[in-house]
Amino acid sequence: MGGNIEHRFSPYTDNGGTTLAIAGEDFCVVAGDTRQSEGYLINARYSPKVYHLKNNAVLATGGMHADGVALVKRIGQNLDWYVHKHEKQMSAPALAQMLSTILYSKRFFPYYVWNTLGGLDENGKGCVFSYDPVGNFEKQHWSCSGSAGHLIQPFLDNQIGHKHQSNVEHHLLPLDQVLKIVKDAFNGATERDIYTGDFVEIFIITKDGVTVQKHDLKKD
Amino acid sequence: MSIMEYNGGAIIAMKGKGCVAIAADRRFGVQALTLGTDFQKVFPATDKIYFGLAGLATDVQTLSEKFRMKVDMYHLREEREITPKTFAHMVSSTLYEKRFGGYFCFPTIAGLDAKNEPYICNMDGIGCITTPNDFVVSGTAENQLYGMCEALWEPDLEPEDLFETISQALMNGVDRDAISGWGGIVHVITPEGVITRTLKGRMD
Amino acid sequence: MGDRYSFSLTTFSPSGKLVQIEYALAAVNKGVTSVGLKGTNGIVIATERKSHTPLLEDNSIEKVSTICRNVGMVYSGMGPDARILLDKARKSAQEYKRVYLEEPSVMIMVKEIASIMQEFTQSGGVRPFGVSLLIAGFDETGPSLYQVDPSGSYWAWKASAIGKNMINAKTFLEKRYSETMELEDAVHTAILTLKEGYEGTMVESGIEIGIAYLENTTTKEGDKIQQGRFKKLSEPEIKDYLANL
Repeated sequence: MGGNIEHRFSPYTDNGGTTLAIAGEDFCVVAGDTRQSEGYLINARYSPKVYHLKNNAVLATGGMHADGVALVKRIGQNLDWYVHKHEKQMSAPALAQMLSTILYSKRFFPYYVWNTLGGLDENGKGCVFSYDPVGNFEKQHWSCSGSAGHLIQPFLDNQIGHKHQSNVEHHLLPLDQVLKIVKDAFNGATERDIYTGDFVEIFIITKDGVTVQKHDLKKD
Repeated sequence: MSIMEYNGGAIIAMKGKGCVAIAADRRFGVQALTLGTDFQKVFPATDKIYFGLAGLATDVQTLSEKFRMKVDMYHLREEREITPKTFAHMVSSTLYEKRFGGYFCFPTIAGLDAKNEPYICNMDGIGCITTPNDFVVSGTAENQLYGMCEALWEPDLEPEDLFETISQALMNGVDRDAISGWGGIVHVITPEGVITRTLKGRMD
Repeated sequence: MGDRYSFSLTTFSPSGKLVQIEYALAAVNKGVTSVGLKGTNGIVIATERKSHTPLLEDNSIEKVSTICRNVGMVYSGMGPDARILLDKARKSAQEYKRVYLEEPSVMIMVKEIASIMQEFTQSGGVRPFGVSLLIAGFDETGPSLYQVDPSGSYWAWKASAIGKNMINAKTFLEKRYSETMELEDAVHTAILTLKEGYEGTMVESGIEIGIAYLENTTTKEGDKIQQGRFKKLSEPEIKDYLANL
C-alpha cells in the first residue's frame, strides 16, 4: 500500500518586479514597475508596489506582494500613532530607522520584501534607504532592487554616479535628467526581464509634496 | 555552485556601422580568489574574426587551441579565409559533438564577412547559436551586461563611439559582479584593421 | 601467376608503373564518351545514354548526377564503380554541410573524391575505380570543371572529354572552344561534340546533360541572393536544344 501522503505549505512566493530610487539635491525619485507575476504567470498588469506614505516618504516594496501590503499597512498605523504622540509627521530618516526595526522584529519569520525608501531629510535633501528582508539597511544616493536589479544597478552607477567617466564633472543631476534615466532603465530592464513590464510608476518627492507619473512599458 | 561560475568572466560583442567590437574582462580566479589579472578570453580566428570564450578557464584554453587548429586546417584545405558565419557553425558543431558531457564554455563571435558586413553571435555550451542585430553578452556578469547594453547601445555607431559604448558597458557591468573585472580588453574590428585597447579598472 | 608483379594489385612494377591503374584507364577508354565545357556563366557536362536494345527503359539509366546543391558529375567507365564514388561524394558533401552549414566548394569536393580514388590505388585487397569523372560546379569562385582519373589525379579544365571517343572529342573542342562562350553556347557545343562520335540520330532520351550556373533565390529571411546550383536538364529542355542546333 502507499505510504503517507505529505502536505506542505510554503508561506513565501516571489511576485517579481523591479524598483529603484534616486536622491537629488532637493528631490527624490522612487519608481517601480506594476507587473505582478508568479512563475510564468502574470497575475496583474497594474498592481502597484510603490506606496506614497502619509509623511511624504515613498516606499517601494519588491518581493512578495502580500507581505508588502501587510508591511505598508503596519507602517501606516505606526505613522498615525507617531502623529498622535508627537503632533508632527515622522521624518524620512526616522521612518528609515523604524522600518529596519519592524523588519528585524520579524527576524525569524521575515516579511519577504526588499524595500527601498525615498524621501527628503531634515535639510530638505533627497535621501534613499535600501533594505534586505530582515532590516539590514543603508543610506545611498541611488539604489535598485528586484528581479531586474542586477540589470539596472550598473547603469545607475554609470549614469547617476558617473562611474568610469573620467572627463565629466561629478554633480547631482537635475530632475529632468533623472527622469530620463529612470525611463531608460525600466525600458531596458523590460526588454530582458520577464518579471518587469506593463507600466512604470515614478514618484517625485519635493518639498511641495509628491507627484506621480505613469508610463507605458512593453507588455510582452 | 555552477561550474560556469568557477572562474568568472564577462564577454560582450556589439555591432556598429561597418564595424564590430568584442570585449572581455581580464580576471582569472578560482571562485572568490583572484589569481591573475591578464587572462586571455578573446582570441583572433582570422584578421577579421575574433572569438571570446566565457566559462571554465581550462576549457577556454583547450577550445581556443582547438579552434585555432581548425581554422588553420580550413585555411590550408580550402585555400581561403573562413567567414564569420562559417566559423560560427564550425564552433557550433564542435561543441555539439560533445552534446553529452561537453565543454563548459559559451562562445561569442564577432567579425566582418567578405563584404565587410558586421556579424556577431553567441551560443550556449552545446552550440545553439543566436545572431541578434545589436549585441550579445555572456559570462557571470551576463545580467549586468544585458542591462548596460540594453540602455547604452544604439544602431550605426562609428568605430570610436562603438569603442566607448562597449567599454562603458563592460567596465560598469563587471564592477557589479564580484568575479569579473580586474581590467578589460576591447577589440574593434573595422575593414581597415583591428583597434585593440586594454582598459584599466577597479582591482577589487 | 603469369606476371610476377600481379600478386598484389597495389605493387609497383620494376618500371615504376602501377599497372592496375593503367588497366583501369583502359576500362575508362572503353566507356561511353562524356564531355564538359566551361562557359563564362556556367558549366555544362554531357554524356551519351546508350542502350544496346530498344527493350530497355531509357530513363532507368542515370549517368549525370547531382552530388550536392551546387556540384554534379558525369562518368565514363564502369557504372557500378561510379555509383560507389557518387554515394561517397554525396555523403562527404553532407558531412561538410553539417559542420559548416554551407555547400562545399567544387575544389573541396574534387579533393575529397580524388583522395578516395587514390586510396584505392594504395590499399590492400582493393582495385582502382574503373572510371574517370568530370565534376562540374558553381561556387563563390565562379564556375569550375574538373576531371578526376582512377589514379586520383585531377585537373581543372576549360573543356575536356573522357571515354571512348575522347581523342576526337578533344580535337573537336580545341577547334570549337572559345573563352567568351556563354552557357547556352556551351550546351550547344557539348551536344555537337557528342554528336561527332554518336551512332544514329540523336534524340533527347539519347543524351544526358547537367549544368552548373548561378541561380537567383530568396533566403528564409526573405533576402534575394545568388547561389551556385547544379541541375540536370529535363528531356523537353534537351529536345529544345536539339531542335535549335
